[in-house]
Amino acid sequence: MLKYAFRRILGMIPMLLLTSIVVFTLAKLMPGDSLSGEIDPRNTNPEYIAEMREKLGYNDPLPQQYFRWISGFVEGDFGKSTRFKIEVSEVIGERLPNTILLGFSSILITYILAFIMGSYAGRKPYTLTDNLIGGLNYIGLAIPSFIAGVFAIFFFSFTLGWFPSNGSVDIGVTEGTIEWWLSRLHHVFLPAVVLGLLSTASYTQFLRNDIIENSRKDYVRTARAKGTPERKIYNVHILRNSIIPLITFLGFDIVAIISGAIITETIFTYPGLGQLFLQSVGTRDYPVLLTLTMLFSFLTLIGNLIADVLYGVVDPRIRLD
Amino acid sequence: MQIVTQNEKNMLVTPPKKSLSPFAIARKKFVKNKLAMISLFFLLLVTIVSILAPYITTADITRINIGQMSLEPSSEHWLGTDKSGRDVFTRLLYGGRISLLVGISCTFFVIILGTLIGSISGYFGGAVDSLLMRFTDFILNFPFLVFVIVLNAILFGKVNGLWVLIGTISLLSWGGIARIVRSKILAEKENEYITAAISIGCSPTKVIVKHLLPNILSTIIVQATITFATMIVAETGLSFLGFGVPQEIPSWGNMLNSANEPDVLQFKLWIWVPPALIITITILSINFIGEGLKDAFNPKSKR
Repeated sequence: MLKYAFRRILGMIPMLLLTSIVVFTLAKLMPGDSLSGEIDPRNTNPEYIAEMREKLGYNDPLPQQYFRWISGFVEGDFGKSTRFKIEVSEVIGERLPNTILLGFSSILITYILAFIMGSYAGRKPYTLTDNLIGGLNYIGLAIPSFIAGVFAIFFFSFTLGWFPSNGSVDIGVTEGTIEWWLSRLHHVFLPAVVLGLLSTASYTQFLRNDIIENSRKDYVRTARAKGTPERKIYNVHILRNSIIPLITFLGFDIVAIISGAIITETIFTYPGLGQLFLQSVGTRDYPVLLTLTMLFSFLTLIGNLIADVLYGVVDPRIRLD
Repeated sequence: MQIVTQNEKNMLVTPPKKSLSPFAIARKKFVKNKLAMISLFFLLLVTIVSILAPYITTADITRINIGQMSLEPSSEHWLGTDKSGRDVFTRLLYGGRISLLVGISCTFFVIILGTLIGSISGYFGGAVDSLLMRFTDFILNFPFLVFVIVLNAILFGKVNGLWVLIGTISLLSWGGIARIVRSKILAEKENEYITAAISIGCSPTKVIVKHLLPNILSTIIVQATITFATMIVAETGLSFLGFGVPQEIPSWGNMLNSANEPDVLQFKLWIWVPPALIITITILSINFIGEGLKDAFNPKSKR
């Protein structure tokens, strides 16, 4: 198992390098000198620009520039934000906890909802409730998250007034107090539900089908023949076998949360990395944009890697491949 | 008529037992599926109405009319007017043209690219296969939304905006199709009729186009349907965020974009609810059609 995981991690390195080359190429294609953000964009004096370009090494051959950029990147030097005038790492560090909280809560909501709905529907398949859950799932899969988000704000924030429609925390609450944490949870709830909606549907459907499939297997028949109570068969025997394959979804969740965060954070004006990404496109804050692009690509790679490795854990046959 | 009578004559002697072709069976099954048929009719209706938009409404979509800003629905403006005084109903029809066009074009390119790469990779195997599949993995490892937005930001203004969008979306989304087509081709090429075709001297192109692709066509059709729904979501989502179809062109996503303003979202429902509903229903119906097709092509399903 360790060997398999190690092989997958090694296979990731060339991918990461190729991705960084693509991002670097994109950076070079962008108008202006986008890598460091050291040049003041408002100073249009050609002498100043030429001098700065020479000083920062923009006239060097491209491979040399790439290696300088990537080695700085590995050491954690991402350049300076042109908009905020501070280090990119600081700008991102400020927003990162918000996105982590959002992603974490959305996964939690997905798990809880999918567990309840999936295990119920799997236990009583082809009943009214099962069909109802199936229908809900279908709608959950079909509605795009931005439409779900817009309707959620309209109903729960504006019409009912249950949840705030923007921000990540109330203004004027002291940081670190219980009130502050509650306010944060209050703010994150609605975006997290919208973000978790899509995965909830596929989790529920998977769990339901797996439980139905398992309930027809021999070991369940044996358990029934021995007189094991039905409750115990489902809660102990089947559930244990059906939950294991679900963990492979975790990797894909990371990937889904990245693109989901961009959309939901924008709709709910939630100050996280996704919103920062779109803002940096809008304000042409290239150093932030490139760092975030690299970060998102890296996380997507990690997500796919986790999914692959977990597949290997669940199904040992895959490791031979 | 001639054939029918002849058939009847034959039936008296030996009942003819010509079984239906796989596609005829699939069509029969599909027609019986009510949900899929209703969805198909709805989608056709939306498409036809969108195509005929210039003949259905005469209102001007581009002119900004300050005197008629944010009017509520009335007999004159069926769905009211938006913040620039443009008729929402008219924009909905014209928006359908763009959204469906982007969806169909992206699906077309994605299917072509995915089938091409998937079938070459699956048919030849070996080094070609590993090279193409590593490349596919590489494309699949890009966060789709992030790269479409960045590419759009770079290319914007240099080429016509709509085709930039279609190009970037297509270039980044063929990976999944390529993988599916490859695995199908891998399984299909083990059959003896392929060995026979190769042994009588068919060129690889001919084997792939004439013998392999027709046999995996059902998979490709189902995938195309699912892709179509995904592409519409991609277009409307990107336009909603302001990074899709250029703002001056009406599309369903661009219309929904106004819901980003709290004032519109809260008080001017007629501006954002119609596009939101039509996007949802369109995507739902495409999904139902996809499910219906999947069912129809599945020889095991009874329905």
